[in-house]
Amino acid sequence: MSRTNLEILLGIVMVLVAGGLLIAYGLNENRRMAEYEKSQRAQAIEVGAKLYDTNCKGCHGVQGEGVPGLCPPLNDKYFFTQRLKEVGWSGTQEDYIIATVASGRLVSTRPELYPGGASPAMPSWSERYGGPLRDDQIRDLAAFIMNWEATAPLREVTPTLAGPPVGTDIFQTLPEGNPASGEALATSNGCVGCHVLTNTGPAWAASGGEPGIGERAATRFQQEDYTGQATTPEQYLLESIVNPSAYLVPGFQAVMPANYGATLTAQDAADLIAYMLTIK
Amino acid sequence: MLKSLNFNDLRQKAVRAIDNRVRIITAGLGLDELRAVMRGDPPTEKPNPRYRVHTTSFLFHIRPRYYEKGSTIFTHTFRLGFFTSFFFFVELITGLILMIYYTPSPEAAYQSILELESNVFFGKLLRDMHRLGAEAMVIFTALHMLRTYLTGSYKKERSFTWFTGVILLGITLGLSFSGYLLPWDQLAYWAVTIGTSMAEAAPLLGQQLNLLLRGAPDIGAGGLLRFYLAHVVLLPLGAILVISIHYYKVSREHGISLPARFEEGNVPPEVKKNAKSRVDFIPDLLTHEVFLTTLGLLALLVAIISFGYSAPLEHHANPQQTPLDTKAPWYFWWLQGMLKLGDKTLMGIILPTIIVLLLIAVPYLDRNPHRSLFKRPIAVSLGLLSVMTLVVLSYMGLPVYGIETPAATRIIQDIAPEEGQGPLYEIPFDQLQPGVYTVSETPPDELCPTIDFGCPKLTEVFLEFNNRVIEAATNPNLSEEQRLPNPEAVMVIEDWQQDLRKVTLRIAWDDPRTNQRTSYEKLVFMHRDHIRE
Repeated sequence: MSRTNLEILLGIVMVLVAGGLLIAYGLNENRRMAEYEKSQRAQAIEVGAKLYDTNCKGCHGVQGEGVPGLCPPLNDKYFFTQRLKEVGWSGTQEDYIIATVASGRLVSTRPELYPGGASPAMPSWSERYGGPLRDDQIRDLAAFIMNWEATAPLREVTPTLAGPPVGTDIFQTLPEGNPASGEALATSNGCVGCHVLTNTGPAWAASGGEPGIGERAATRFQQEDYTGQATTPEQYLLESIVNPSAYLVPGFQAVMPANYGATLTAQDAADLIAYMLTIK
Repeated sequence: MLKSLNFNDLRQKAVRAIDNRVRIITAGLGLDELRAVMRGDPPTEKPNPRYRVHTTSFLFHIRPRYYEKGSTIFTHTFRLGFFTSFFFFVELITGLILMIYYTPSPEAAYQSILELESNVFFGKLLRDMHRLGAEAMVIFTALHMLRTYLTGSYKKERSFTWFTGVILLGITLGLSFSGYLLPWDQLAYWAVTIGTSMAEAAPLLGQQLNLLLRGAPDIGAGGLLRFYLAHVVLLPLGAILVISIHYYKVSREHGISLPARFEEGNVPPEVKKNAKSRVDFIPDLLTHEVFLTTLGLLALLVAIISFGYSAPLEHHANPQQTPLDTKAPWYFWWLQGMLKLGDKTLMGIILPTIIVLLLIAVPYLDRNPHRSLFKRPIAVSLGLLSVMTLVVLSYMGLPVYGIETPAATRIIQDIAPEEGQGPLYEIPFDQLQPGVYTVSETPPDELCPTIDFGCPKLTEVFLEFNNRVIEAATNPNLSEEQRLPNPEAVMVIEDWQQDLRKVTLRIAWDDPRTNQRTSYEKLVFMHRDHIRE
């Protein structure tokens, strides 16, 4: 066989093999494309989770549980089933999230429940409107939030109190407090959002030469610039919870909701105070 | 009237008519001649109609009528030049199709690549072919140049061909580098940021040059559009022009050089005569080219489909986040290595310019008339020395050389790198058992004893983390930066969302340089459906 003939023969064999490979690859294409689509969604969720962790958890909670009296929960059945009807949004849930994150909220739509940070209620996050995030990041963030849909629990919008609310009288006698349930309340009521995880409010833990809240409470009401009425550490803490504007720690703004007197029972308040006093 | 209809007559007429058509299509080859070509028979007519094709057909007029037999020996050329142009055509064709799906803007570019991979039939294959073809084209260009140098084929009348070759090397690198930016991922963004920042070091015009390339002080929409247009218009047009000149010189003017032994070696005259005998384009060279083309295509497909080559795609470009180890494309590692040796202007601009000028000047500097390897000891040893220098410089260009990262950062980034593969990412999702795993001198042999199938891969990765931290804590021979005295290190896995787990790697230690407790932490989210390849 001449070299030319051999090359023609081998060439034909190779074309057939290549064609076979292409057909095999092509038969798998639909499955592969579907897998890639899922994988790309998964990567968007991963990226979104990280963005949520750096940008959103301070107000909306580490696990999207929200901060009662401040920011709405996102990991919430109500958010996924009722919210669009409530605001009259005609697009998809994901579009709603993207639009809200991108442009923020000038005024809260539910000021009595979630007044939001300050003014604006929620800042705009898109770099188009002066925020820090790109469009693709906002899409990833929305993908992460949407991933809560299947498992979101039903959170009560107005928690029913187990007893009468504690009110705003700081001189009342509170029941015996339990630090352990106080710690749980600090998380479920969202206190940690501003006082532990971010520095929106004064940090509870000891930091920068300052002792923890337990020790600070004992000395604060004796300071000269103190403007409240407390005479004991317990009264000072109760005052800070139910009437936060009585005294503002220098360097912080009056953003803490003033309605805890109505949403906490006396036992809740006592537990919280007991817990805070343990943080030295 | 029926009687006058002679069947044979009719048949002859029909054959003649068909023959005529075929000659028009094949630019001069009749039916009989085509048959002879396919069978490997000698030409059927005189003058040889197989040569006529080269004057009547546009596509064939730039092809050689014949090569000398000696120059077609495989071990003389290794078909390197052929494969370089083969990959150029692969790039041209796949590139034209990819252009349909690509949008050159920072907002849309990355998304268009994602859609190409998840929503276009054969889309990923096309991208893989384009990427692999580009790498192969750079490799074959370099090898082709090395071969030409070693066989002394750049001498005398072929000096100008060598010059066009050097230009083509530059265009090939330019094409490859400009294509690097287009996916607009982290890999692209930072490689090109480093690359264009070198232009800044150019004396006098640096600032302007940098601005011209990037379209703004930082790479953005303007820079991407410029790189895109350079990649799809300017450089391909330049390449087509210079390849045409380069190829014309070889195919029509000088032919491929004969191996030196036939020209200057001590060989019998009949061997010399045989080496100079003709190998015609039709059918021998043409068949060979088609054969090589199918071989090349099959090799590309096998590399991608059977061996799983996959064009890399990192996260979306993020100007705010500089990756820990920024790397130029591999063919510029030598330049990165040089930059570590000295000043940016000297090492990044002046020396490379001198190198290019020296390459162009090779045929004029080398006055030795001989072409045989053994008669050019200086040229050959200089060439090999250059190749070795290039390899060493490339090694020095890698992040492992000369850059010391603090131990905690290094350990955590090695286990869970920002981009690409890493031990952590190889753990199957179901083995990521939520828990707090603390580094200690006596780590457990098995992390999840309560689970039937265990978690061997997680255990393996945790042990690597554990052992590296303990090594950094206990080895007294390490430098201060590499030591982790008194470490508290932990790997925390939490169930975060449906099909999503959060892995936290944290190391805290007493920093001997500041005498303070310091810590380094990294969060990684891992989703069940994420395909890592």
